[in-house]
Amino acid sequence: MTRVLVVEDDRQTAEEIVAALSDHGFAVDSAGTGREGLLKAAAESYDAIVLDRMLPGGLDGLGVLATLRTAGVAAPVLILSALSGVDERVRGLRAGGDDYLTKPFDFLELTARLDVLLRRRTAVPQRETTLRAGRLEMDLLTHTVTLAGAPVELLPREFRLLECLMRHAGQLVTRTMLFEEVWNYHYIEPTNVIDVHIGKLRRKIDPDGTQPMIQTVRGAGFILRAPE
Amino acid sequence: MRLSDLRRTTSFRLAVLFLLLFGTAAILLCGFLFMQTRNYLAHRTDDTLRVELGPFDHMDAAQLRQLLTAHVAMDPHLQRPLALFDVKGERICGSALGPPQFQVLNHPAGQPFTFTLRRGGRTVYFRGLIRALPDHELLLIAEDMTGIRAFRSLILQSCLWGGLATILLGLIGAVMAGAGAVRRIDGITRAVQRIVRGDLAGRLPTHGDSGDLDRLAQEINFMLGEIERLMLEVKGVCDNVAHDLRTPLTRLLAGLERVRRRAGSVDDYEAAVDEAMQEIRGLLKTFAAMLRIAEVESGARRAGFAALDLTQISADVVEFYEPIAEQKNVALTRLCDDAVPMLGDPSLLFEAISNLVDNALKFTPPGGRIGVRVFAGDGGRGIEVSDTGPGIPPDQREAVLRRFYRAEQSRHTPGSGLGLALVSGVAGLHDMMVRISDANPGCRIALVGQAYQRD
Repeated sequence: MTRVLVVEDDRQTAEEIVAALSDHGFAVDSAGTGREGLLKAAAESYDAIVLDRMLPGGLDGLGVLATLRTAGVAAPVLILSALSGVDERVRGLRAGGDDYLTKPFDFLELTARLDVLLRRRTAVPQRETTLRAGRLEMDLLTHTVTLAGAPVELLPREFRLLECLMRHAGQLVTRTMLFEEVWNYHYIEPTNVIDVHIGKLRRKIDPDGTQPMIQTVRGAGFILRAPE
Repeated sequence: MRLSDLRRTTSFRLAVLFLLLFGTAAILLCGFLFMQTRNYLAHRTDDTLRVELGPFDHMDAAQLRQLLTAHVAMDPHLQRPLALFDVKGERICGSALGPPQFQVLNHPAGQPFTFTLRRGGRTVYFRGLIRALPDHELLLIAEDMTGIRAFRSLILQSCLWGGLATILLGLIGAVMAGAGAVRRIDGITRAVQRIVRGDLAGRLPTHGDSGDLDRLAQEINFMLGEIERLMLEVKGVCDNVAHDLRTPLTRLLAGLERVRRRAGSVDDYEAAVDEAMQEIRGLLKTFAAMLRIAEVESGARRAGFAALDLTQISADVVEFYEPIAEQKNVALTRLCDDAVPMLGDPSLLFEAISNLVDNALKFTPPGGRIGVRVFAGDGGRGIEVSDTGPGIPPDQREAVLRRFYRAEQSRHTPGSGLGLALVSGVAGLHDMMVRISDANPGCRIALVGQAYQRD
């Protein structure tokens, strides 16, 4: 079972996060201060750590993170913060964080991002040149996509959209994640414009509308499901 | 206005200080003038006496006595006494000098001196010079100094009167200047008290004379205007927050009540919970947008500025919205390809331009056009979004940039009323101005920043 440590000082928020992650199927521990979090993370091995940026008691989130990395703890760390500035985000990632989520956030967003971090960790490190999902095949070198062997014409942006979905096939990809990965802007409030892009992509990879592969998760995002 | 106030005003103190400085200078000047004139007149008298004694050297005793006797007859009022004394100091002939009896031996020979005689109850001053003649007789020549002394006292008097007038005029000027300042400061104080009591529309009085107080008052009035605008905006925001949040909360409550009354199955409850979650997400979105505007307006995000290309960002926005434009059958085009570099926050600029394009898409009817143009020239650089929608009436152009402002005709279109407020905030963060104009037909909104610095 995947083990996750939540370091968050606000008890109620911590409880909600723990509940959401447990429901998602993780085994969750929580710590209320930076010191406690540090001790737990060092003593046991976690698959991922959710770390609040602002912690009381002298040792804040970035301090915990730096100490963990120095101590050789390699588990992916997702930073939670009320600070949304680009420079704050850069600082968090530079300190060794793997992802950065601004409060308030949807729990679906949190679990989706944790899934991605965990998957990245277990994925084979070698560079892939082709992605496969059901009848879809994507060649990352020639930038071509085939559907059951037949070529599919995609615009560059559609290609990247599909690539992102295929890399996380079977996982929820939120609109925010898509926007950040495909458009490279850190947009806090994703609009439904992305749905229109997805709609166009859907029609291209499923021209006759018989086998919808990209499913919409209401209020959250999209999942690429490819029946084998 | 009290007299003690007057003494404390800067104008009064300054005027008095100048009066003191000027007065001292005037006294010094008058004194110098007086001394110089007095010395000059005295020297001139002495020289005249010396010159006039000259001819007597060549006269013999008889001639001298004859001339002196004649002189006494010519000079009855002792304007210019001439007298001859023997070795003992007794007058031999010439003008009779007294009372008191003139003692020739009390004065050195060859050295001009001053002596007095009493005549008709007043003292008359004389300047005299004694010459010792070869036969040891002493010849005195003197001159009545009354005229010269009168001239001297005239100078002294004019100096005194002039000085007095200067001081008086200076004091009057100081009082007037001080009183003017006190009056104006009283006016300002009253205005400030009115404003403190809550009259936010109150302004400091100005006289339009571009004096220092006036300039200060104008600056303060400008500041008061800004404060009033912000206060009204805050008040408006509070009202609008209350209104905009009450509506979805009421809907939320109504939905929950309905499901409590009617729901019979788990499915019904789940649907209600989903609905409620959707509603709450919307509320959180509104809050997030408000907080972001506040964050943007605080300028904190300037710390994350990086070099970027405005054209690239506008291209990304256009590309992002292209599918929607296609769906709505609106032509969305970009009208410039040159790179326009600047410092900024790419995500915020993307969001601001997105909001403009999003608005344009919302209000442009099918078949219309939307143009996104990035420009850089002498008039400044920036980005402009124009559409063929209904446009914004001139009297609402400032209001639409306010938080939660919804034009009457757009009250029923979806949106939070925060989009343009964020645009305005982002523009301000990047030192840009939001300009709204007519595109004939339609609306043109431009974010205009400074032109490139010319080196």
